[in-house]
Amino acid sequence: MTEASAVSAAVPTPDHVPESAFYDFDMFHDPAYVKDPHKRIIDMVENAPPVFWTPRNGGHWMIMSHAANFEAARDTDAFSSEMIPYEQMEAMLAAMPPGTPHIPRAYPINLDPPNHAKYRQPVQGVFSPKAINALRDSIRALARELVAEIADRGECEFMSAVAEPLPVRVFLKLLGLPLEKFAEYRALVKAHLSEIAPDPSSAMKRLQQVAAAMRETVLERRDDPRDDIISLLWTVEIDGRPTVLEDIENYGVLMFIAGLDTVMQGMGHGVRHLAENPELQAQLRANPELVADATEELLRRYTFTVPPRRVARDMVFQGVQMKEGERAMLFLPAADLDSKEYPEPDHFDVKRGGKPHIAFNAGPHRCLGSHLARVELNILYEELLAGLPSFSLNPQRAPKFHGGHVIGVEELHLVWEK
Amino acid sequence: MKVRIDKAACVGNARCWAVSPELFPLDDDGYILVEEVEVPAGMEDLARRGVRACPERVMQIMEDDNSQ
Repeated sequence: MTEASAVSAAVPTPDHVPESAFYDFDMFHDPAYVKDPHKRIIDMVENAPPVFWTPRNGGHWMIMSHAANFEAARDTDAFSSEMIPYEQMEAMLAAMPPGTPHIPRAYPINLDPPNHAKYRQPVQGVFSPKAINALRDSIRALARELVAEIADRGECEFMSAVAEPLPVRVFLKLLGLPLEKFAEYRALVKAHLSEIAPDPSSAMKRLQQVAAAMRETVLERRDDPRDDIISLLWTVEIDGRPTVLEDIENYGVLMFIAGLDTVMQGMGHGVRHLAENPELQAQLRANPELVADATEELLRRYTFTVPPRRVARDMVFQGVQMKEGERAMLFLPAADLDSKEYPEPDHFDVKRGGKPHIAFNAGPHRCLGSHLARVELNILYEELLAGLPSFSLNPQRAPKFHGGHVIGVEELHLVWEK
Repeated sequence: MKVRIDKAACVGNARCWAVSPELFPLDDDGYILVEEVEVPAGMEDLARRGVRACPERVMQIMEDDNSQ
């Protein structure tokens, strides 16, 4: 992946983009970014315009400042989540030959209001803080098991040993999928991760595989419900109509693409920071009640998702002329490192005076799984700090990262005294 | 002291609830249940922290003298 990466060709800059809003940055392959993503982000926060146009990857806007991200995320009329408009998408799918297998779509993440709410409302309760709190014990048991497996090794590659299997196991458990599916889903996650900028047809095929791997269970739960999400999804209504197989598959795909990669990368960035800061580990081991605050500050300091938007109309946004149909990235990692909001933004401060971050985005698309993600991150940090002595980065093997819509940790080699 | 909440603008971060489930009750979907909170004596500091914790900035402290 990163070894083979090369910066994409620059496309001509449109006439309406002034020089003052131009900055050259490849969000997939910028060399400094891929080497140490958040170091490069801090450099950009200091040196790039608050909203800029980059000529890379076909040319698109980057929304940097906290104020601009907060406004854009909440103005869904101006910044659409439908990279292809809903009506156009549905018409395209309807025009497929009869018998074409269902192509799952990640509703409601890629829908605008009011359709967004129709698909989101039915699953709000499933991911509510109270519902997620009930899962704490089983998530803790899974995390403890994975940490115990590595504890006496003295070293590990953290991503493959813990960060990747944990959310996949939670996903299976939550949906009620059989544990035998673990290897299959892990392979699908690996394939998903190996394409940082997937081409649409292979991504579509993979989503069909994700759906196919759960179909048997989905149908079983329709006739014989249990205490799991799939069973629950059969009981909800979308816009007043009962759910059908395709809806359950859409939700399953949403949880797959939005819930596995993200949590895993969050763990990677957080554990990397812990590994580099033994005094913070010591502080948290001595005061485990601070881990919840540390989880929040790690999310702020290493915000890692970059949701795309489509400019829905010609407009002047934060002083910059944008044209309908252009793409804009909500560069949330920069928003959470904006010194106007967070004094000394690169400094890790467990308290930050209780000031919130927008790592889970703002506005109606606020991460549906945020409560689950928080619990998973929180518990993982607790169990790792409790189960391992002070750990650090393996000096022989530097961590590896990738850019993209989810800034990822590919390899994170840790060592500790046995 | 009161907390005034723009309930329609709540997006369900539930960070206020994480500060004080007693002051900031949620509905079954995890969104704020109320539009106004009458803060009991002694809980003013918790109320301020809950308001500050909202990433969406939909809450406001109303002091008893009606200043903010």
